[in-house]
Amino acid sequence: MTSRFSKAMLLAAVLAILLFLLAPILVLILSAFDSGNVFRFPPRGLSLRWFEAAFNHSEYRSSLWISTVLGLLSTAIAVGLASLAAFGLVRGKPSYRLAMEVLLLAPLTLPLVVWAIALLSIYAQLGINGTLPGLILAHVTITMPFAARIMIATFGEIDPNLEAAAKSLGASPWQVVRRITLPLALPGLLSSTAIAFLVSFNDVVVTTLIAGAGWITFPVRTFSRLRTEGIDPTTIAIGAMIVAFTILVIVFGQRLFQLSRRL
Amino acid sequence: MKQTPDIKPTATALLVAPAAILMFGVFVLPFLFLVVLSFWSQVPGSVGIVPGFTLANYARIIGDGYYLGGLWTTLWLSGLVTLLCLVLALPLARWIVLYAKRSKGLLIGLCILPLVCGALLPTLGLVNLLSPLGFINGALKSMGLIKTSLPLLGNIAGVSIGLVQAFLPLMILPLISTIERIPHDYEKAAMSLGATRLVVWRRVLLPLMLPGIVAGSLLVFCASLTAFVTPQILGQGKVVTFASLAYQQAAMVLDWPFASALGMVMLLFLALAGLLGALVSRGLGRRT
Repeated sequence: MTSRFSKAMLLAAVLAILLFLLAPILVLILSAFDSGNVFRFPPRGLSLRWFEAAFNHSEYRSSLWISTVLGLLSTAIAVGLASLAAFGLVRGKPSYRLAMEVLLLAPLTLPLVVWAIALLSIYAQLGINGTLPGLILAHVTITMPFAARIMIATFGEIDPNLEAAAKSLGASPWQVVRRITLPLALPGLLSSTAIAFLVSFNDVVVTTLIAGAGWITFPVRTFSRLRTEGIDPTTIAIGAMIVAFTILVIVFGQRLFQLSRRL
Repeated sequence: MKQTPDIKPTATALLVAPAAILMFGVFVLPFLFLVVLSFWSQVPGSVGIVPGFTLANYARIIGDGYYLGGLWTTLWLSGLVTLLCLVLALPLARWIVLYAKRSKGLLIGLCILPLVCGALLPTLGLVNLLSPLGFINGALKSMGLIKTSLPLLGNIAGVSIGLVQAFLPLMILPLISTIERIPHDYEKAAMSLGATRLVVWRRVLLPLMLPGIVAGSLLVFCASLTAFVTPQILGQGKVVTFASLAYQQAAMVLDWPFASALGMVMLLFLALAGLLGALVSRGLGRRT
């Protein structure tokens, strides 16, 4: 077996695996343009009617609005707290750094559905079940590990001598942060904001348990409809737009600030 | 080596405290509460909870074939999904590290796409991919390869495809970071000493990739064991997994103590998986 042949085989396998990985997303986008009530392949016709329906559907519109507000507020809090903590851990080098990283990254390794069951009963005891503050707390928690990971990597890459130099030239601590640290950390801040927002916006596992009736996010509404009435083509159209937006964020994020480097 | 801090210990503590307090209060405490709650009981027909100590919730899981069956299905399904993810992720991760040059970052970005899209949107696409009129069946029919649709929804096949698709990134990312740390020359050195390709893989590459394989397998196994969105939608109620049982108890039956006990059983199996992973990496680490 020549090495060129085996390389070609490997490349073919890799392309097939990538296709498998992305197939659901590609089919989602394709089926949004199908004109029928039920997607079938090959499609009988292509149309934009489901996109039109999506923009006219008030329930979905309010759900999307809720998802956006929840995502923005949670992301702002999570990225803020994660940045402070990451800066402290990287620059302060405390003896508890490892323990703290484990704590901040815990939601990546522990099962969120089990946690959400417990959170649901605690929220019920506290009377904050189905309230916006309760939801925000939960979303800050699930986005924190992504923000913390990226920010720890970001501050780790910034040379502390640059900050020390600015200080020795007479800059106040606030000036050092504003003129040196923040500009250097900007790519990391943008990466963690993008990823945290997407994670919050698309979450269904935790939100479906604790959202209650007042704050039904788009994924929660779609999930409950899907279980009771099957696929609604309008959801497919909205889903396709969300996925397209996500792809744009990742591609541009990669181009502009090397999104994947700190993951 | 003692590292010198750039900021004062008090300042460090103040910076870290808000995030730490939040994560402890909102993430860690509920797990502790879960332990307690699983021994409480539910007032029948209401959402009232009676504090106390009862093993009734656990007895119900062990005594009922329905829950044990769900647990068994979930365990072997998760094992299968982990294995499939490993087989698919290894060539992809290796290729990305060795051959993808300028497109590497973009490829990694595409690989994490299913992660940041959440559990739901890819599943919507999967339904249209796998349904009787969907993409795969439609394509096979128009090529004349099949007459009647293959059943890909509402069975284990559909659920496995969905889970592998959803959790493949969890295997790819740790593999990429371990493969990146393996020096290129090792493989060449082994080959020049006369090792065959198979031997190189078995004696050099796989042992060096092991930390990534163990980490990725643990992540995928844990994620599959506790997944409920994908199994519920692609299984169409015909594939009952343990996490969807827990979800039903928590969200529909509103029996939180029982749901907590189901959650505790999941945690137990995750702990066992973690222990197994630690043993495997330690045992093989000693051998090499």
